[in-house]
Amino acid sequence: MKNNLKKKSLIILLLGLIVLYSVFPIVWTLITSFKPESDIVTNELQYIPENFTLANYSAIWTRSGYPRLIANSLQVTLITMVICMTLGTLAAYSLSRYQFKIRNQILLFYLVIRMFPVVLMIVPLWIMMRYFGLLNTHLGLAIAYTTFLLPLCVWMMKSFFDAIPPDLEDSARIDGCSRLTALFYVVLPLARGGLMATAIFIGIAAWNEYLFALMFTNSQESQTWPVGLALMVGEFQLPWGALSAGGIISIFPVILLFSLVQQTLVKGLTSGAVKG
Amino acid sequence: MYAKQLGELSETRSWAYILILPSIVLIFIVIIYPVFHGVSLSFQEMQLTKPHKSGFVGLKNYYKLFTDEVFLISLKNTGIWVTVVTILEFSLGLLSAVLLNRAGLFVKIAGVLILLPWILPSVVAANIWALMLDSRLGVLNDMLYQMGLIREYVAWFAEKETALISTMLIEVWKGFPFFSLLLLAGLQSIDDELYEAGRVDGASDMAMFWYITLPMLKPVIVATIVLRVISLVNSPDLILILTNGGPGYSTHVLSLYAFLKAYSEFNFGYSGTISVFMFLILIFFTILYVRMSRLNS
Repeated sequence: MKNNLKKKSLIILLLGLIVLYSVFPIVWTLITSFKPESDIVTNELQYIPENFTLANYSAIWTRSGYPRLIANSLQVTLITMVICMTLGTLAAYSLSRYQFKIRNQILLFYLVIRMFPVVLMIVPLWIMMRYFGLLNTHLGLAIAYTTFLLPLCVWMMKSFFDAIPPDLEDSARIDGCSRLTALFYVVLPLARGGLMATAIFIGIAAWNEYLFALMFTNSQESQTWPVGLALMVGEFQLPWGALSAGGIISIFPVILLFSLVQQTLVKGLTSGAVKG
Repeated sequence: MYAKQLGELSETRSWAYILILPSIVLIFIVIIYPVFHGVSLSFQEMQLTKPHKSGFVGLKNYYKLFTDEVFLISLKNTGIWVTVVTILEFSLGLLSAVLLNRAGLFVKIAGVLILLPWILPSVVAANIWALMLDSRLGVLNDMLYQMGLIREYVAWFAEKETALISTMLIEVWKGFPFFSLLLLAGLQSIDDELYEAGRVDGASDMAMFWYITLPMLKPVIVATIVLRVISLVNSPDLILILTNGGPGYSTHVLSLYAFLKAYSEFNFGYSGTISVFMFLILIFFTILYVRMSRLNS
């Protein structure tokens, strides 16, 4: 009994330490974002803000191009989600439901192309985008994002479709549905949890992306927030408070949406890797 | 009108291919073609700043690699960086997965909290740690100083010795949840009966971990490690934002070097050569992964 209690407290202690390592930096940024700059740049470090303020939030929002950057990111993210979810869902459905000759090869193909080096593709893509006039456009960036997100989408959606028994479609087809209408009226509604989780995961990845965005945009009109924020640090020596506030603003939707679909998402991400 | 025809089409044999076709076409345009183009660039002299010097140069760029000191430093750093980060992330991931593999509200909440750094943008992750590790205002210096572990504040990113270690610490912070997530799923798929049988035979917790958990987890362990190595070799984001490869070349890695050659110098040819070299390393790991996943299924 005593041994059990000892073991339990050891588990909680270790887990607590790991959680602290994971969460403290985020909490520290949140705390910093509520401090006036004079309390950040001080010799006596304040662990609890003595002069709570929202000035950093209004500063980053009104005195930099931040709203514009956020709007750009939103558009790129939405276009990426639409492209990936449309093409990815169709391909995933086919790979989940049909047995055909090169099915396994195609699945493997989707897996392998995710491992190609980004830096190898980024220059040819840049040349291609420049040729088609897609540099500095939302569409161009979204297309670049499909290089790593479309294969991921196919694999995740396939695992969600695999979990839905095909009997339901079969009976719908006996009742006069075609494959196509059965997909829309039977399968997709049943897979909506998985659809939502996959869409959010794709969205988060597009929202966060840095390298392509840095290479493919060079004006405030087209930049996304990660690039804008990183450049602000370099160019204007952005104060820590405003920088923290900017970070918090942009990760808030990420954390919120992730928490909403976390359980389904984890299932979709892990089922492929551990089917064993 | 068209809906009906589409419906009829969906009943034919070719429907399976028609559904896949659009995604395959897109992938050929944005991935396969650029990869071939990238390989061909590696045999060319191509600098946008010196347009008159463009053209095929055969293996010249490849010869240059092995006399290029920065490349050799980057290669060495990549090796160190990937090895150390993978070992640390795997250890911490396995530990947390074992701890999280039980019921309870606290455990459940901890499971979600641990994943947070993993979904954060690298830009914010970098900023967060740049503030925490700041030589003058950083909270880490303050805490270590108060605990008496350091005598004076350390300029983590300014010193060659600490810069690489600092970027590793941050990469581990952001990356270990990937292992927690997949190893936990692996642990949960192990049949409980194995442990019950072990208990009946009087095996200790340690023995059960060594003789049941680890062997059962082996396919997931190998798969996650290979996947992580690939993504670490591939992504220069954090280092790019944190140190830009400095001070000196102390945090230069191959992916960063290739990116900077293209982004800052517009030296597309040589950037391609470095990338192809990376590609060859990655192909080795990819084949390893594919072999493993074939064995699984």
